[in-house]
Parts: sequence; C-alpha cells; structure tokens
Amino acid sequence: MLLTHLIRSMSENNMALSEMPKPDRVKITITVNGEKITEEVSPRLKLSDFLRNTCELNGVRVGCEHGVCGVCAVTMDGNLMKSCLSYAVQADGSVIETVDGLAEDGSLHPVQQAFHESHALQCGFCTSGFVMATKNLLDENIDPSPEEIEAALAGNLCRCTGYKNIFKAVDRAVELMEE
Amino acid sequence: MSKSYVSSGNKEDTSHRDDQKSKESLTGTSYNRVEDHRILTGESEYIHDITPDDCLHLAIVRSPHPHAKIKSIDTNEAKSHPDCALILTANDIKSQYNPMPTGLGKIYTDTESDNDEPIELPEWALANGRTRFVGEPVVAVVATDRYSAEDIVDLVEVEYKPLKPVTDAIDARKDEVIIHQGVGTNVADTESFEFGNPKSAFKDADYVIQGEYSWGRISGVPLETAGVVAEYDRDTDSFSIDCNIQLHTLVDDTIYRTLGYDPKDVRVNVPSDIGGSFGTKIAIHRYCCLAAMASQQINRPVKFEEDRIENLIGGDMHCSDREYKMRMAVDEDGTMRGLDIWFIDDFGAFPRYPVNQVVKPLSVLTNSYMIEDVSYEYELVLTNKTSQTAYRGFGVPPHIYAIEMIIDEAARELNIDPTEFRRQNLIQPEQMPYRLPSKNIYDSGDYPQILHRVNELIDTEREEGGLLDPQIVKEKRTEGKYRGVQPGVIIEPGVSGSDWTDRQRSDRSQLSDRDRSDVEELPEYLQVRIDEDGSVTVLLAADSSGQGHQTIVSQLLADELEISPEKINVGYLDSVDAPTVYGSAASRMAVMLSGAATGIGEKLTNNLQLLASEHWDCQFGEVHYRNGSVERIGSENKISIGELAKIDADRAPDKRLIDVSYKYDHPATNIEAFDEAFAEKLPVYPTASFGANAPIVEVDIHTGDVEILAFYTVRDCGTMLNPMIVDGQAHGGIAQGIGAALLEEFAYDESGQPQATMLDEYLLPSVMNVPPIIMEHTITPSPFTETGAKGVGEGGMIDAPASIASSINDALEPLGIVADRIPVTPNRLRQKLRDCE
Repeated sequence: MLLTHLIRSMSENNMALSEMPKPDRVKITITVNGEKITEEVSPRLKLSDFLRNTCELNGVRVGCEHGVCGVCAVTMDGNLMKSCLSYAVQADGSVIETVDGLAEDGSLHPVQQAFHESHALQCGFCTSGFVMATKNLLDENIDPSPEEIEAALAGNLCRCTGYKNIFKAVDRAVELMEE
Repeated sequence: MSKSYVSSGNKEDTSHRDDQKSKESLTGTSYNRVEDHRILTGESEYIHDITPDDCLHLAIVRSPHPHAKIKSIDTNEAKSHPDCALILTANDIKSQYNPMPTGLGKIYTDTESDNDEPIELPEWALANGRTRFVGEPVVAVVATDRYSAEDIVDLVEVEYKPLKPVTDAIDARKDEVIIHQGVGTNVADTESFEFGNPKSAFKDADYVIQGEYSWGRISGVPLETAGVVAEYDRDTDSFSIDCNIQLHTLVDDTIYRTLGYDPKDVRVNVPSDIGGSFGTKIAIHRYCCLAAMASQQINRPVKFEEDRIENLIGGDMHCSDREYKMRMAVDEDGTMRGLDIWFIDDFGAFPRYPVNQVVKPLSVLTNSYMIEDVSYEYELVLTNKTSQTAYRGFGVPPHIYAIEMIIDEAARELNIDPTEFRRQNLIQPEQMPYRLPSKNIYDSGDYPQILHRVNELIDTEREEGGLLDPQIVKEKRTEGKYRGVQPGVIIEPGVSGSDWTDRQRSDRSQLSDRDRSDVEELPEYLQVRIDEDGSVTVLLAADSSGQGHQTIVSQLLADELEISPEKINVGYLDSVDAPTVYGSAASRMAVMLSGAATGIGEKLTNNLQLLASEHWDCQFGEVHYRNGSVERIGSENKISIGELAKIDADRAPDKRLIDVSYKYDHPATNIEAFDEAFAEKLPVYPTASFGANAPIVEVDIHTGDVEILAFYTVRDCGTMLNPMIVDGQAHGGIAQGIGAALLEEFAYDESGQPQATMLDEYLLPSVMNVPPIIMEHTITPSPFTETGAKGVGEGGMIDAPASIASSINDALEPLGIVADRIPVTPNRLRQKLRDCE
C-alpha cells in the first residue's frame, strides 16, 4: 500500500525517485505488548529489527529475512504477520503483540504451557513464531480441525521437532484454554 | 559478555517431589524440560541477542564467481563512508594471522615450501588472490551498524578475472580444472580398505549385482544462523569470543591457531541456548576469526550475524554430496556374500575438519546384515562449491542409503521378496556383541524381532480399509497412484570418542604399528559445586542446541544426590575453563553425560560423607548419605549439604571436597575387544541403536509427486533416560530424513552458480510434508554403558532417507524403477517415468 501511494505521488509530482526527499528519521508510535512506544526511526528499519533492537524484545527472532521461516511472526492489529517483511514505519499507529508479552506475572499463557507440556520445542528458535501462530489461530477458532491447524502453521518452519509434538501442543492448548 | 543462563527446575512439575525425594527415580521419566520457560517467554539469550553497547558490526563482501582470480580490490570509496570503521582484505590479515587449519595433513600446496615435505593447504579467512566458490568471503567491512555495513559492502570494488569452474565431482576427478594449483589434483584424499576376502567372495558368488546411487548435497540448515561477538582485550592481549559454534571445547583450535594465540588467550563461550546446529555449526570458525581479528584492529567488540542467504551459499556448512558405485555378491539361496563400496564425496573448495565423515561409515559397514567380505574405497574430491561441514549422521546416511538400494536391486534380480532377503541376512541376537569386519562392535539387539514387529504393524494397514488394503492399492493404481512399503532394519552408531577422527591427518602407513596405549581419547567432563544455601551448580563442557542437556543432567543428578531437581542449576564452561573434551556430537551425550553425572554423583556423595565424618570426628563407615544430608548412623544427627558447604568453605582451597570435577571415559575404553580398532584409528562407536522403519508411500506417476501416507517405526536405543526427549529426537530426525529423501538439495548449475540461495529454494519440510509418525520402542540396554543408554541423536536422519527410498522402490517395482538418486524430486521421477514409457 505504501508503495502504490509512493508511486502515485511520484507521478503526480512528476518527480524521479532519486529526487524524492529522503527523510533520515521518521517518528512513529507503535503499541507493543500494551506499551505505547514513540521513536524516531530510519525509514528502512525493518519491523523485526525495531522490535528486537529498539524495543529489546528477544522473543522476536530472525531466521531468514525473506518471509519463509516464520520465526519472526508477531500479530499486528490482531493479524499474524512476518515482521521481517515489514518496515517499522509501516507499523506506525498499529498494535503489535509478541511472544514476550504473553506470560502474566511469570505464569505461562496456555499456548506456551501447552508447548512446554507437549515437548513442542527443542532448540526453541522457531518457537515464538509457532506460539504466536497457534495463539492467533485459537483466538479466532477454539476448535480447529487438523486441516485448519495445518493451514495455520504452514507458514512456520521447525527443524527440530518434526511437528508431531507441535500438533499435540495445539490440541493441548485448546484443552487448557477451555478449562 | 553473555549472561550464562543456568537452568533451574520446572517448578510447576516438581513441587510435589520436594520433601519426599528419595527412591522415586526421575531418570527414565518424561520429566519436562527445564530449558523451556526462558525460551517460551523470550527471556532466553541466543547469540543474535548479544550486542554490547559499544559494539560494531561486520558484513562481508563475497565472491559472485565460482572460480576467479582477484585482480584488484578498491576500498577507497568504502573507506570514505562516514560509518566505516575498518576494512580487511586477505593482505591485511596475512601479515598478522595464520590460515585456518584444514582437515588433511599431508597435501601438496600452491605455497612454495622449502623442502619436499607437503604442508597444509592454506585456507585464509578471506580469499587470497583467488576465489573458489560463490559466496566465498573476500573483504570484511566493519561499521557502526549492520545496515551501514551492508551499504559499505556495496561500495567495495573487486575486479575479478573469471576462471572456468568445475562443480561436478565426476568431472572434477578428470583434473581438467584444478581447484588448488599446487595440489595438482582435485582428488585430495583417498583410501581403500579390504575386510575379509572380497575378491574370492565376488568370484565364488552365484550373482554379482551392480548399482550406482547418488546422494544430493544437503545440510542441517538450523533456523538460527551463525553468530559471533568477539572482543579483544589489549591489557591482557587476549580474546573473548561469544558464538554459537558447536563443540566449542574441541574445535576452538580452529580459532586460536588461526589467530596465532595460545588456547588460554582465546576464550570461546557459548550461550545456553543455540538455535539448532545438527553438526553444521562445528565449522563457523571463519566468522569467529574475522570478528576477532577486526576487534583486535579497532579495539572494540565486533559482532557478525550471518544472514540466511550467506548461510545457504557461503556458510561453509553443506554436507555429504556423494556418488556411489556398489556391487553386491549374492548366492542363489539369498545369502549376501560380499559388498564392494566405492564412492566419491564432493567436499567443495577446501577439505575441512569433517573429512572423516567419509570414514565413519566403517562403524556400520554392513548395516544390520552379516556380510564378512567387504571392500570400501572413497575419493574425497574438491570442486568450486562451499566447503563441507558435519550434518546429523556424519556421512553415514548416504552409506546406509546405498546399501539398502543395492539390496532392493539384488532382490529384484534374484526375484526374491526383499523383506525376506533382508530377514535372512540379519545379524542374529545370539551373535551379540557382534564384531563387524571393520572391527567396530554392535553391543546388543534383536534385529529379526524388531523387523517382525514393524511387519505386524503394517499388516494392520493391509486389512480392509487400511492404507495397504489390496483392493484400495489396486484402485489407486488405476489412477496412477502407486503405493508401497519396504521395511528394513537400520543401525545408528553411537558415542565416538577417540583419535580415529584425525585418521586422515595421520601417516596411515604407520597405523598398524600403533599400540593401544598410543590412543588419545576424548572423555566427557562435569564440574559440580554445592552452595551454602544447599543448591547445586553443575557446569558442562559441552554446548547445547536443543537436545535438553540441562534437563538430563538435572534428572540424573537429582537421583544421584537424592534431592529435588529444582535445587540443581546447570550452566556451561567456556573453552578456557573446560578441558578439551569432545562435546555434543556423534550421538554421544545420552551415554557420556549420563555416565559423567552418575560418576560425579558418586564422587560427591563420597566426599560429603568424608567431610561429615571429619566434622564429627568419626569413622567413614559411621555416616550415611541420604536425601541431601549426611546422617550419623545410630543417632539423630544429620547435616545437610548446604551446611557441609559452609564447613567446606573454611578449608584451604586445595583441600575442598565438594567443589569437584569428573571425567567420564569413553565406554569402549576398558573393553579389550575394541583395542584393535582403537589402535588402527578405525571408527569406534560402542553403542548400536537400531530401528525398523516402514514408511508407506504413494507415488503419483503423472506428477512425480511422492507422498508419505504414514511412517511406521519401531526403535531401540537401550535405556531411555527421558522417553519424551528420545521421541523428540526421533521425530525431528525422521523429518530431516524426509527432507533429504524428497525435498532438500544444494544444486549448482554448470556455470557454478548455487541454485538454492533462499529458503523457498532449499525446501525444508513443513507441517505439510511430515506424515503421521507411528512409533514404538523396544528396550535392549547396552551392556557397555553406565546406564544402559545408547546414542540416540542421529537415528531418524540416518534411517529415514534409505527407508523412504526403499518404499518408493517397492511402489515402483512394477515399473522397474529404483530411487537411485535422492532427493526424489517430482522432476527427476517424471524424467525416469518418461524414460521407461
């Protein structure tokens, strides 16, 4: 959307890209895990780097930076998204949730608890993405079919578990969330 | 620099055990992992999360050419960038540092040596005058942040003169294009073994079956890429290097030798959590060295975080890439008489440390079959590809695949049932422990029984409505969908730990003169300290990348000390504080850590009793250790381990009794039957886990697509220390095996350009590709190990590719097709189908 807007404004002003003003910093405000954060950022700063480095959220991890592995998944305004495919400026005004904000007072969110009980993580590098994808699924659909689970997790890669226990964890999370 | 995360017990699961701990054993239970909480909440610190405040960032200019002369490097514009802090080229590092160690000792090089003695092939951390693969680092750039560093990378002008590349190992053998001029040949190493009398076996046998099989270049591709933060300290002239290297206490030599420092001056430290490795991160030392060199030049911490494209094309992390020529001698009655194994392995541009993965298959030379007469020859070939490292199974998966394929072809040619053919030749339980012709020994197991069991399981699928219901199979075939399954028994060699690993750096003509006492061994090491609050701190000398070592040690030590696992914290030693041990590779840790934990537990309880008896001024025999305290027999007196820690703290440091360390020797050390293999530097793997797989596949002959409908497996890894973790290892290994069999490959085109540069080109299995896994276990404890456990880290990746290929053979038997090349991609399979139409 940003790009089309840019192209339109370029043609309207009949201005070549190289002549476009290049702001060094852009002021953005993003609500991250309930906290409103206002920062001046470089327009090319990736959202994943903003969350990791500016907001110091280690739960957001980066695995490929080309939108395949899903390790960096977060929710933006309630929708699951890969934060490596967005610039921080594109998230201006949005509400973002990351895995870092799920546990309350040290007790795990039911999805996290289910992953723990089901041994659905080994090295854990992909886990934040899977937890966010699972939470996003169950927030919308508390009784997903196996096909729906598969579809919801198809954008995330895990190299350790072989997925069997991740499947199990989704079922367990449903149980825990219904309790 | 990094916080060392120590684990502490999972509170929600263990509170009920707090006061009654004693006889109830945690070992053997599916105790939930102590690592999970910090990972799930984002509190864990992986290497990418470590960024000191004054840290600078390194980025790399890489070669776009597979083979080229570097004519010039212009860094002027790059240096003028306001954020540029440092630029390094080969010329800059050659004056102060060394080339990186290679895997081969004796090889002629393009460096003029003063005498006729061959010297090591130099591999500089930055390309020296010539590039030999796409992605090879040429220039290192350091800047205030990674974004700027990458801008500066674009400003470096390198002028190349492209040379003709060679990326096919068979072509490379012809030596028309030479990768290293001074070596004179691309066949950097070769060795030929004969066991028994293969010549006469092949002469006498009724049939000789031949086949050629190809194993595509694959790797572990962990989701976390390599990372390093290096800091040079001018005051002490030493380095501190945080990184996610695997085997940090063993392969730290690749870093300190390159830097030209003593081991004590290069402190290599790993985070508690590493985002997967599977062997691949053993060889990330180039990055560690570059960051360390840069830090020394500018006296600031320097961080490098590999990106995914760098990882896939130039991360020094591809693995086995083999072409096999197999021959099998078979008698009319189905007796396997002999095997003749020849293969080449494409190691890419430099023969690095894991060259010994071409030798490891000797530890499972004939897989689960009794074959006495075997010849085995390899050629290690260099090409214009990124160098090899280790990957789960370490050279064994292609070997097992090639054996299972020649067996399928032999069964076809003799027109015998392939399952019966296998069963007939299995090593029998009464032959255990079974000594292979290559002198490794299988410890225990009933192979016919496990094959029988997996057959029983798939028989249920032959019933009405099952996946293999003959009626359904027939109907499917009319739609062009061919179903098949081929059970077989496959061995996972476990627990390496001697100097066979440097066989190829040895003078092999002298090995037969070696004595058992010449053998260097690599034990596993633990340190334990009891604190005055009664908590126990355990420090490992191994690194962890998802295996759950902190959990396993907590379980074992809680049992040994009869205390709650919550009181046990597990952390890691760096390369300076730890002795040189082996670490987590070669399916070692279940056996080695459990042996070490048991040993150190015994030592500690003994010392605690000694301390208490001294305190009470009584005989050693008058005290007794129980439930975290020492009791004085026949009295109410008891003293807790925390109080004993206070008493111990008053003693002179060298007299302390409860700050102890322990080395657990390799389980084969005291077993004489292994002596010959040890002395001759043949691979010794004293545990043989085994499994019988039966993946049911469906091949669509119209699309070439292979779907695994269900993966049946019955597995045996001896005593299971934590069944939940054992299952997890098997699931993950099988998934990687599915990737190897059907999806993954680092292909190169003829011009030498890598074809898998992103994760949508190198296809990792997703939730869509992994079928239901139906798994059972049998338990045959190892007679050789402390706890009866066997190695279990690599099994699925070793056995699944061969099993899947074999099931495809069964499915396509009516069409006469053999899965002679993996991965079996739709395109390849369609090509074959077209050829036979």
